[in-house]
Amino acid sequence: MIVRRVVRWLDDRLGTNAGARYLLAKIYPDHWSFYLGEFALYFFLTLVATGIWLTFAFDASAQGAYGSVLELADRSHPIGYVIRQIHHWSADCFVAAILVHMGRIFFTGAFRRPRELNWMIGLTMLMLASLTGFTGYSLPGDLLSGTGLRISESIALSVPLVGRWGAAVLNGGDSYPGPLLGQHLYTLHVYLLPVSLGALIGLHLFLLIYQKHTQFERDPKHVVGRRFWPDYLLRTVAVFGSTLAVLALLAALVEINPIEDFGPYQPWIAANGSVPDWYTAFLEGALRIGPASEIHIFGHPIPPLFWPGLVLPTLAFVLLLLWPFIEKWLTRDDATHHVLDLPTQSPLRIAVGGALIFEGILLTLAAADDQTAATLHLRLETLVWVYRILFLVGPFIVGWIGWRIAAERRSRIIESTVYPSEVTTLVRTAEGGFEEEEPQPA
Amino acid sequence: MRVAFFLVLTIVGALGATAAAWVGAQPVLLAGALVVAFLGLAGASAAAAVALHAPDDLREPREPHGPSAPAPLPDDGISRPAFGRLWLGALGAFGVLGLVPLISLARKPGRRVITGWRAGVRLVDENAMPIGRDRLVDGGVETVFPQGGVGLPEAAAMLIRIDPELLRVVGESGAAADGYVAFSKICTHAGCPVALYRHASHELYCPCHQSRFDVLRGAKNISGPAPRPLPQLALDVDAQGYLIARGDFGAPVGPDDWDRVS
Repeated sequence: MIVRRVVRWLDDRLGTNAGARYLLAKIYPDHWSFYLGEFALYFFLTLVATGIWLTFAFDASAQGAYGSVLELADRSHPIGYVIRQIHHWSADCFVAAILVHMGRIFFTGAFRRPRELNWMIGLTMLMLASLTGFTGYSLPGDLLSGTGLRISESIALSVPLVGRWGAAVLNGGDSYPGPLLGQHLYTLHVYLLPVSLGALIGLHLFLLIYQKHTQFERDPKHVVGRRFWPDYLLRTVAVFGSTLAVLALLAALVEINPIEDFGPYQPWIAANGSVPDWYTAFLEGALRIGPASEIHIFGHPIPPLFWPGLVLPTLAFVLLLLWPFIEKWLTRDDATHHVLDLPTQSPLRIAVGGALIFEGILLTLAAADDQTAATLHLRLETLVWVYRILFLVGPFIVGWIGWRIAAERRSRIIESTVYPSEVTTLVRTAEGGFEEEEPQPA
Repeated sequence: MRVAFFLVLTIVGALGATAAAWVGAQPVLLAGALVVAFLGLAGASAAAAVALHAPDDLREPREPHGPSAPAPLPDDGISRPAFGRLWLGALGAFGVLGLVPLISLARKPGRRVITGWRAGVRLVDENAMPIGRDRLVDGGVETVFPQGGVGLPEAAAMLIRIDPELLRVVGESGAAADGYVAFSKICTHAGCPVALYRHASHELYCPCHQSRFDVLRGAKNISGPAPRPLPQLALDVDAQGYLIARGDFGAPVGPDDWDRVS
């Protein structure tokens, strides 16, 4: 009753009913893999909700940060404990959900014309999500995150020409740790990065609705699926509920980031087995197996961590960002695609995607090379060389194997597929004869 | 029916969580009640969606979003190409103006590395206590700072005591009497503290990226990604028998950068 009156009140003044009716009746294709992006969205909403609460409990000053998070990590204050646990777990899951969603888009070719722009927006959001996660991880001022910050500062410092500027922007001064370091991280983490993410999510969803979703149904002229209201809304609420349930379960059972065990950051203390949150571990691994030699250009040194710390992730990012255009250039396919491929239909994507996933996993493993070497009774140097060789050779082997498997499967599918255009339907006429029905548009 | 069951579960969970928070129960109870509430919500929506038996093959035409037909510009005097260029120029001027605050941020700063080490300054431990000749046994290590500079991030050094005979054989300079040597604790790779020392091989070891440094060869980088040795702090002993520095570190502390021209 109240809802109806509010709706009428709004409609009277703004004419909202026509638009609402259109949006509620819109058709969305249905497939389990289309929900992966929604998981990311719900992790983001959870992060915003818990994060707003946390800003009221967190002391952003350099002296107070560690103590205030220590209070949140105290189990005798269950509300703060659970909210902080859900926040951190949600951040780790957020990046994971984006990556899995991105894998679905990549391997089914959903990024092709006309959706290249939305792919690039998504990739930008992956980078922003990682940065938001890293700045948040760095806020409490514990030993683990402080050590990570020092490494990041060294990476910023390593950039040719502008390194000192980058480090100074981070530090808020010309020495480490700068007086404004914590304040800068806080502004980035609670304002600049999440607001940018929110704006890009809005754009991402607008483009999704405007351009309509891709589908597996081989009918490029129509969207085939379910209505938003009530079918799809119920399904997405189910996704939302299960996302939150999983987060609450993790918060209840597995304590994440126990800063009370790490102690406060002191620049001259470090512990063995220091590793960052999982989505930045690949960088840590790259630093570990990276080269040790410092090259000099006109007497200016380029520190060794510039290559694994900045060049490598930038190259990977640019390759992925431009992938729709690279694929277009390689396959000469610039047609509009609303119908998705099965992953094995494109040996190229299997090869390139497989190689990238291999490198990501390898570098993440390399971030634990000291523990691995100790467990396997190997010399660390031996293991580092194994990782280095695998890093250089592995992607080609994985790519080649992926290509072969996909190409073989594709040729088998092509042999066994009967195209709809070859199927004729006979319709019995009133006179008792048979007539061939017009073929349906594929 | 099933929907009703799940909705009741949601209500029970949400109220249970409220009660758990109210009485300050263990976090596991609060989070557990939240799990029940959210699972109830998910279950109710999923059950309702299944119960609908709604068709999943509804069709909606896809309208292509292509280029629109060019419309002739109205000849109103302000849309002429010459004006267009001026509009662009005006926008560009604002762009140039926008660079001003950016450039004001971009003044290239220096890089101050404050170590606090000078000739004659005493070595102290984390509690600011000066360090006497008998402080360490052979193979012992201690994090040291210059007197008055405890906690300075770039000042930390590793003081190690080694058999003086061994130092004499390898010709280690910068050692004080009784085999005391000291090196910067800040790794030349990424600035981590080189916090571990293995006496059997006389190696300093960085826990972040596993660089190893040979103490008997001036903390030379022998393995891992560190590009150069740890800077040495030459030591001496003062008249009262306390360890002192002979000067600042022999090389710049911490990771290099473009503007650090040695």
